Amino acid sequence: MEKTIMLVEDNPNDEELTLRALRKANIANSVIVARDGQEAVDFLFGTGKHAGREPTTMPAVVLLDLKLPKLDGIDVLHRIRADPRTRLVPVVVLTSSSEDEDMLRSYQSGANSYVRKPIDFSAFAGAVTQLGMYWILINQSPPSRG
Amino acid sequence: MKLPSTRSLRQKLLGMVLVTTLVALIVALAAMIGYDLSAYHRTLVSDMTTQAELLGRTIAPALAFDDTRMAKENLSLLRFRPPVSSAAVYNARGALFATYARADAARAFPKLPEADSARVDDGDLVLFKRIVSDGEILGTVYLRADYELFSRVYDYLGIAAVVLIAAMLVALLMSSWMQNIVTRPILAIAQVAREVVGQRDYSRRAVKMSADEVGTLVDSFNDMLTEIDRRTRELEASNAKLAQEAEERSRAEREILRLNAELEGRVRERTTQLETANRELESFSYSVSHDLRAPLRAIDGFGQALLEDFPEHLPDEAKRYLSRIRASTQHMGQLIEDLLKLARVSRGPLERRAVDLGQVAQQVVSELQQREPGRAVEVSVWDGMLAEADPHLLRVAFENLIGNAWKFTSKSAKPRIEIGALKDHGRTTYFVRDNGAGFEMAYADKLFGAFQRLHSATEYAGTGIGLATVQRIVHRHGGRIWAEGEVGKGAVFFFTLALVAEEAADEGAVGKKAHG
Repeated sequence: MEKTIMLVEDNPNDEELTLRALRKANIANSVIVARDGQEAVDFLFGTGKHAGREPTTMPAVVLLDLKLPKLDGIDVLHRIRADPRTRLVPVVVLTSSSEDEDMLRSYQSGANSYVRKPIDFSAFAGAVTQLGMYWILINQSPPSRG
Repeated sequence: MKLPSTRSLRQKLLGMVLVTTLVALIVALAAMIGYDLSAYHRTLVSDMTTQAELLGRTIAPALAFDDTRMAKENLSLLRFRPPVSSAAVYNARGALFATYARADAARAFPKLPEADSARVDDGDLVLFKRIVSDGEILGTVYLRADYELFSRVYDYLGIAAVVLIAAMLVALLMSSWMQNIVTRPILAIAQVAREVVGQRDYSRRAVKMSADEVGTLVDSFNDMLTEIDRRTRELEASNAKLAQEAEERSRAEREILRLNAELEGRVRERTTQLETANRELESFSYSVSHDLRAPLRAIDGFGQALLEDFPEHLPDEAKRYLSRIRASTQHMGQLIEDLLKLARVSRGPLERRAVDLGQVAQQVVSELQQREPGRAVEVSVWDGMLAEADPHLLRVAFENLIGNAWKFTSKSAKPRIEIGALKDHGRTTYFVRDNGAGFEMAYADKLFGAFQRLHSATEYAGTGIGLATVQRIVHRHGGRIWAEGEVGKGAVFFFTLALVAEEAADEGAVGKKAHG
């Protein structure tokens, strides 16, 4: 079964740049994009807009922005960690923020990793590439339930 | 005048008078009665002795002639002497010759006569008297008379009782009347004293009624009252003054409390305003951190994408422009980064701890050396630079100051950096000295403004925020920062970390000494 990446990102520029970087890195896995926190939660649990989706297969990794419309990144992280179905899904916080406070809150809420988006595109692309490589190719995902 | 104390004084006087009177009367009466009784006894004995003598003379012839009848007749004359209850005549041989007894008296006679004597026997006076004629004892006369001493005693006691009672009554009346003379002035004083004490009216005065000891007492008492009155007035005046002072003090205290409350209110208000401002600043920083970076990343990212994806469509000029666009976005990213740092050093609590600033400086220096291993800079850091400061903020300050020194010595022939501390009057001034590009003293005050640069970006890279950050850190520690420099010779940055209470003055002298 193919491993999917979930990108939670409201900024279309960042979305496109991220997707481009993944493509360039030859990570051809399907990427599910959620444009706000609610959509991300709906997808993961098969509710709302994604009602009907059986929440049996989970993404190999969730790339989560912190500043999101509706539910913000930390709320989404709380939801993911509170539900037994999604508790083990790896979550990487990918954000512009370099605030210590944001980093601390992310780790306290159960983030597996915290990555700052650099302004320099080369550095940004490098970071995304490395993330994709690590979580899709190197990391072993937790066993799927159901 | 019905209070116990006054009655007591009167009673005492009365009692004294009565007891004295009583004792005097008793002594006088006893003496009188004693004298009277002894006189009575003597008179009776002498009277009866004379009677017996007369009787003996009268009866002597009858005895001589043994004429009992005549003797009896003579004896019976005794009926004119009622006190004589019985009488008898004994002849020379001692035999009863003739007798006489009063009608109510017993007819018992001693069997034998006795020698001349007079004695009291069973309430009667018993008297024997020998009848002597020409030295010859003719017989003996015996007389028994009523001895009324005891009834006289009883009579006298009765009289004495009546006299005593009468005398006591008179004495009572007299002394009651007369003691007023003594007690009235004293009682008057007592009354005044009571009123003075009761009403606290020290203006009252006792009336002087006599010039004796009581008069002296009245004078002394009045003098004393005058003195007490004076002192009481003084005391009251002083009390009133004290009360007034206390009132003024409490009013002042209330005023202070009110001002304090007002001040606290203002402080609360200001604190709230500050907190609001701080929150706004934080959310501003947060927005800058997030929202300002995203478009930059897009500009940079899509610029890069253009270069990567369409290299054959772009002329070299366009590629060069795109590179300029990317360099600018990256510079702006750095500016945002530095501004956020500047904002960050202003936020959060200041945590003062014991810090070895020498150690902090060493760490910063070794980081710089790692970053640019090719640079050969002679760095000396003094030992024992201990301070009470926020370790994180001081590290940021040194990063900027030493970083600047590092940067501005990049064109020096023999770059040298010195980090040390100077102590003067218990105040420590820290300094970072270099022999780099230096600056013109005319611009010394412009060094610490944000975005103020004294060198062009092409000469030395930088955003112009570093020294503003350092200044804010120093100010947050209640210290001062200033710089001295000369173009081409180098610069010295001095700063103090005064405690809040300390005055940050007069440090210029230390600075000059350091510079020389």
